[in-house]
Amino acid sequence: MTTRARSRNRALLRYILLPMIFLTVALLGGLRIDAETKAFLFYPPPLITLIFSVMVMLLFVRGRAVEIDKWLRSDQPVLTNGSHALTLLTLYFATAQAFNTVMPERGLLKALFCFFLLWTLWNNQFSNFDARRLLRSLGVLFGTAFFLKYMFLPSLFAPGGGFVKSVAGLFLEVGTLGTIDTLTFAPVTGYVSFFTLLLYVAGLILLTPRPEPEEDARALIRSYRTLPPLEQSAVREAIAGPQPSAALEAREPQKRLDAVEVTGELVTESPSEETQIRQK
Amino acid sequence: MQHRLIQSVGIAWTVLFSAFIIWIYATEPRNFKEVTAGAQAAAGTYDIDHARFNAALDLFYREEFRAARDEWKAADPGRRDARTQFYIAYSFYREGWHYLYQDDDLSKQGLEAVNRAIELSPDKTLVVEDPGLQMRTAVELKAELERGTEQGIGDFNPFKVFRPRK
Repeated sequence: MTTRARSRNRALLRYILLPMIFLTVALLGGLRIDAETKAFLFYPPPLITLIFSVMVMLLFVRGRAVEIDKWLRSDQPVLTNGSHALTLLTLYFATAQAFNTVMPERGLLKALFCFFLLWTLWNNQFSNFDARRLLRSLGVLFGTAFFLKYMFLPSLFAPGGGFVKSVAGLFLEVGTLGTIDTLTFAPVTGYVSFFTLLLYVAGLILLTPRPEPEEDARALIRSYRTLPPLEQSAVREAIAGPQPSAALEAREPQKRLDAVEVTGELVTESPSEETQIRQK
Repeated sequence: MQHRLIQSVGIAWTVLFSAFIIWIYATEPRNFKEVTAGAQAAAGTYDIDHARFNAALDLFYREEFRAARDEWKAADPGRRDARTQFYIAYSFYREGWHYLYQDDDLSKQGLEAVNRAIELSPDKTLVVEDPGLQMRTAVELKAELERGTEQGIGDFNPFKVFRPRK
């Protein structure tokens, strides 16, 4: 592929495909299907999801999944900055709607979900993240919330469930003094939500940290610098490979240790001071 | 040059798609028919099925209120016509009216329909010139339906049996 074609494809991805993906997530994130009438129900993002989205955007910037100073630069044309800002804005709303789709709509469960998501995101603010780890962490977070909302909870409160399920659901409801207050939607809502989350994760995978990817060597150096010291040394070893000089250097301290041991043995074999005095 | 074109198309596309999403969340259509009808209304090409509307009107005057409502709903799938929504509300009122009480549930549904009618009419005032109706404005109908949902000491008034159905 020529450089020109590659550049054009990147532009298409950045300016058209990514906003489309994120806006589709924003559209579908609040969609539920009524269980009885099969009518569409649209839930706009609650305020708390907008706050979660701000926290995730901060994580993106901290983990260098989005290098904001490269997306928005004063030396770029206004049109470029504008379209980059729009792409980032769509990412923000898509994140809010991704939270909206996995959160219960009301009651005690919504409060619990909010609390645990807030706790996790707040803790993450102080963790050491790189882009890949951050993506993995978000995947697990959304996956768990999705499982709880669309698979675990409906199995407890589904009207057609078995006796044990009904009893468990009843105990849960009585135990929480009726504050559980879940809404039951048509099963297709779960499929829509799953598709929405897949699309969101696909969008995150396609989102490059900077609009124009830097040269491979520089990117490697930058990534290397963000790693903790232990992993840096592992990278150094992996890159250097089994070189004879390096291997020799690595064996040097071992040799000295061996020598010390040998010396020690010789010392123990030589007559002690007491023996020498006795001999005298 | 090519990049500029892609950027411009991208910005236009993003703005249009965002406007569509905001419109969807603001109007809350309940199915694809309503989405289409809403789009037609936005483009100024929406119109109800007049044959069905007239058929529903006949049913209404024969006091077949549920059947009339079904026909009106089919005639106005997007719920975009103020006059049709007014008639739907009126059918809820007449069906819910009884000598001793007024059905709460039907009155509530009627209120929803008449509120839609008011929202859809220009200047929020709707007058339907139909000699077969005693209430010809949406606000009158709304007041009557609201009275039907309220509960008070007046509900026990025995003279209520003499109040007329409008």
